[in-house]
Amino acid sequence: MAIHKILFASLLICLLIQSIHAATKERLFSDLEKSALEVTATPSRVGEGVVLAAGVDKLSITWKVSSTATKEPEFNAIKVKLCYAPASQVDRPWRKTENELFKDKSCPHKISSWSYDPAMKTAQSFDYTLERDIPTGTYFVRAYAVDAKDHEVAFGQSTNEDKTSNLFSVQAISGRHKSLDIASVCFSVFSVVALLVFFVNEKRKAKIEQSK
Amino acid sequence: MGDPSGEPGSSMHGVTGREQSFAFSVASPIVPTDTTAKFDLPVDTEHKAKVFKLFSFANPHMRTFHLSWISFSTCFVSTFAAAPLVPIIRENLNLTKQDIGNAGVASVSGSIFSRLVMGAVCDLLGPRYGCAFLVMLSAPTVFSMSFVADAGGFITVRFMIGFCLATFVSCQYWMSTMFNSQIIGLVNGTAAGWGNMGGGITQLLMPVVYEIIRRCGATAFTAWRLAFFVPGWLHIIMGILVLTLGQDLPDGNRSALEKKGEVAKDKFGKIMWYAVTNYRTWIFVLLYGYSMGVELSTDNVIAEYFFDRFHLKLHTAGIIAASFGMANFFARPAGGYASDIAATYFGMRGRLWALWIIQTAGGLFCVWLGRANTLVTAIVAMILFSLGAQAACGATFAIVPFVSRRALGIISGLTGAGGNFGSGLTQLIFFSTSQFTTEQGLTWMGVMIVACTLPVTLIHFPQWGSMFLPPSKDPVKGTEEHYYASEWNEQEKQKNMHQGSLRFAENSKSEGGRRVRSAATPPENTPNNV
Repeated sequence: MAIHKILFASLLICLLIQSIHAATKERLFSDLEKSALEVTATPSRVGEGVVLAAGVDKLSITWKVSSTATKEPEFNAIKVKLCYAPASQVDRPWRKTENELFKDKSCPHKISSWSYDPAMKTAQSFDYTLERDIPTGTYFVRAYAVDAKDHEVAFGQSTNEDKTSNLFSVQAISGRHKSLDIASVCFSVFSVVALLVFFVNEKRKAKIEQSK
Repeated sequence: MGDPSGEPGSSMHGVTGREQSFAFSVASPIVPTDTTAKFDLPVDTEHKAKVFKLFSFANPHMRTFHLSWISFSTCFVSTFAAAPLVPIIRENLNLTKQDIGNAGVASVSGSIFSRLVMGAVCDLLGPRYGCAFLVMLSAPTVFSMSFVADAGGFITVRFMIGFCLATFVSCQYWMSTMFNSQIIGLVNGTAAGWGNMGGGITQLLMPVVYEIIRRCGATAFTAWRLAFFVPGWLHIIMGILVLTLGQDLPDGNRSALEKKGEVAKDKFGKIMWYAVTNYRTWIFVLLYGYSMGVELSTDNVIAEYFFDRFHLKLHTAGIIAASFGMANFFARPAGGYASDIAATYFGMRGRLWALWIIQTAGGLFCVWLGRANTLVTAIVAMILFSLGAQAACGATFAIVPFVSRRALGIISGLTGAGGNFGSGLTQLIFFSTSQFTTEQGLTWMGVMIVACTLPVTLIHFPQWGSMFLPPSKDPVKGTEEHYYASEWNEQEKQKNMHQGSLRFAENSKSEGGRRVRSAATPPENTPNNV
């Protein structure tokens, strides 16, 4: 019976935690100030149908606080992220865009983070080499401005609101290596050959014993 | 070689894991010990062990047990090895939700056929070679994960790896050559449950191996491929151990089987007919599809679910997912035990009610899992769901031995295949489309479990009743003898082929419940059930 009490108690605690959690208002993407930052991302290779190679090609990213930004006094840091374009989110619910910021999974790849200096009014630019764990897909760049509590207050992105312009494609590394392939074949062959050797050997021994 | 009479399907005796210990080959109720034999455990006249000593590795009996369940568990590890790594694999191979779902379906479909073939292989080569062949020939399929470059390759490789789940058959077959039928139920049930644990172990093992390889400097997309070498090596190691340390029979290897000049006494076609025309067979196929089947489906989706829904790290999701599969350690035997306890009070009706209650409870907890919004509630719901589903597996095979005596092997095989089929179907409907989110899929799977468990109410034994109906009062048709002897026609009865069934019927009277068990039994007819 003790286990029943424990289970019931844990259930009560869970419900309590759930209700407390639900009491805090969720921060929404739609509340953020749009276009507070002007962001551009230029791939190292451009052209019709060009696909950038992860681990090799670069993006040249610039960001600048827009003159129309109203929440600028709250800015503490700028976080630049690589985000999935809608084409790469189809049939992939783990990349879904959600309005609640903590649930949103459309911008999982961190590019860099910069401390915000209000005195610096000029555009900041830097080069970013695409990491080797970036998956194949279509992307754009977004920069979030966060306040001192690490909550997003504003953002800017390199594409338009519908996420249809200025997108670039990336091809992931395959992860395959020749050495891996060779090792794989060697172990497979070993397995089959070892089995056959044992089998033939035992059959031979059985035959010898039978003929005795 | 579970049954010296060598009937087709007799090799599958003991597969169910909950068979009553009716000695269908031994005439006397008490199993005499062969005192001339020099084994670590007391043995019977066939030198099969009469005692199950869990922590011993003594040759040959307990050593066989450990080799057998570990190789079966290894196959579970490799079949479900991809599941906890899907969050990485899906990015490397650019998979869609459909691709992931299809790969999950593929992983459980292959063994539907391979399990059917494995019985024949064990009959031909013996269980030791059956096991070793399967385990070592499927090692290349595990290693070939390093070549996979797209969704098609991933699905194909998971399909091929899935074939090795047929070690279930060699495992149970091998046990029945080594352990007396009095205890084969417990032995096989433990081996099956511990083997299924591999589905839980892999959720823990693979993320840890992946993490270690990543920390050694490999990129994510190479690390997961390297991680597959671990189950591959396990296959090779277990194969070699089985070949070197194992033996086919208590007295030695296959050569002893040469003395078996007995031809199969029963015809495969007839047995198949009686299996297929018994409606209870198909109800159990459906039921097992929604106890074992949902267990296999959950093994495939649960780690990814926790990773995505609750934003956990890969190995944290793995730990939680592992506790689902690891519950098999005690949950499956506990289900069989619960069924036995219900039977002491209410007989077969108790067993049917126990199965319905346990499996429906599992389904309801699955619905709760799908609807759980916080991590803690999800974990609690998942654990309760695992207990329900796995205990239901144990409770199912506590009843299956009574459905038929003549066709037990085939019915067990069909039920087992139903498990895999149910798993494939569930993954196809609920986890392969964008129509349902994974949490919705889990909720609907729970609803489907409850719905597909209802047919248990239709199972009626004339001699024992069903969930809602009492046994038939007809003096002829309401007896156990009539039920089991009805599987033989007049010519076969004249040849006395049905004697085994009659003995079984006599011993199964305890399924009538307490009023039958407490009735005085004639001294010369001591039932030898446990």
